[in-house]
Amino acid sequence: MPVQEQEMQQLTAMVWESILSLPVEPRAGEPNSGPSMMSACVHITGAWQGAVSISCDADLAARAAGIMFALDAASTGKSDVQDALGELANMIGGNVKALLPEPCQLSLPSVVDGAEYSVRIPRSRVVTRVAMSCEGSPLDVVLIEKETPLQ
Amino acid sequence: MSTATAPAKPPQINPKLIIPFVTSVRSVLQTMLGLESKIGTPTIKQKPGTEYDYSGIISFSGNIVGAVVVSFQREAAAKIVEAFVGSPVEPDTSDFADALGELTNMIVGAAKKDLGGVANISVPTVIMGHGHIVARPSDIPCLVVPCTTDLGGFAIEISIKTA
Repeated sequence: MPVQEQEMQQLTAMVWESILSLPVEPRAGEPNSGPSMMSACVHITGAWQGAVSISCDADLAARAAGIMFALDAASTGKSDVQDALGELANMIGGNVKALLPEPCQLSLPSVVDGAEYSVRIPRSRVVTRVAMSCEGSPLDVVLIEKETPLQ
Repeated sequence: MSTATAPAKPPQINPKLIIPFVTSVRSVLQTMLGLESKIGTPTIKQKPGTEYDYSGIISFSGNIVGAVVVSFQREAAAKIVEAFVGSPVEPDTSDFADALGELTNMIVGAAKKDLGGVANISVPTVIMGHGHIVARPSDIPCLVVPCTTDLGGFAIEISIKTA
């Protein structure tokens, strides 16, 4: 496993706390899903191939955007929220990349927003999944590795 | 006294980054599905984004950065996947997502060869869910290329730039 669960928890907490000054802690239970979830994903290519995806509810993403861009709730727009979640995925992905074999490159983030959706990355497998909580709101981080085709 | 403000510059899109996708869509659909496709007039994506039922996303890194999204409404996706696989596939299943991911990978992979430079493409991510929106970094303009076939239409959203 290229990144252990504990490492993933630590670097997620480090990014969340240093950028947002919000505490995060491990959460027990199933991966979060619901009608108001948002996800951001950065892909990693090179010596190691896969993706880092973070998911949280829209309220937490909006709060993060407000803190990152110094906006109050009323003036935080949808694009601010999407940019903030994408930037957080980029930071977590950058820290994950540092733990992977070199050379690797990180893509720009893609953010998915919607009422109810599912995300699937074909020909890949989840290698590390951490369930966190930020002041009661769920925050999930998943590391996905591209499967090597059978020779 | 009034002060004049310069109009905002429209986003700049390099056509050399777009044409390969038009070529690859035609080629992949013709080769893999035996389908003729018509390419509509590309438009700059305005906010808020169009909502779709299925999207295949592939990210670029290296000399070209950004993402390309191939998005479908449900009915067209079902027909195109059936033609691609050769038999009906239940929508919203992993097999359905895999087929859409593979089709996206073929279109973007074929275009990548003609883009020049050293670019890496990611594995495809497939989003399934009615009314979802895929957002990308706001500093890269997004061009929406509508495609129509006898099985239905879909859109390619190209949001890439040279690094």
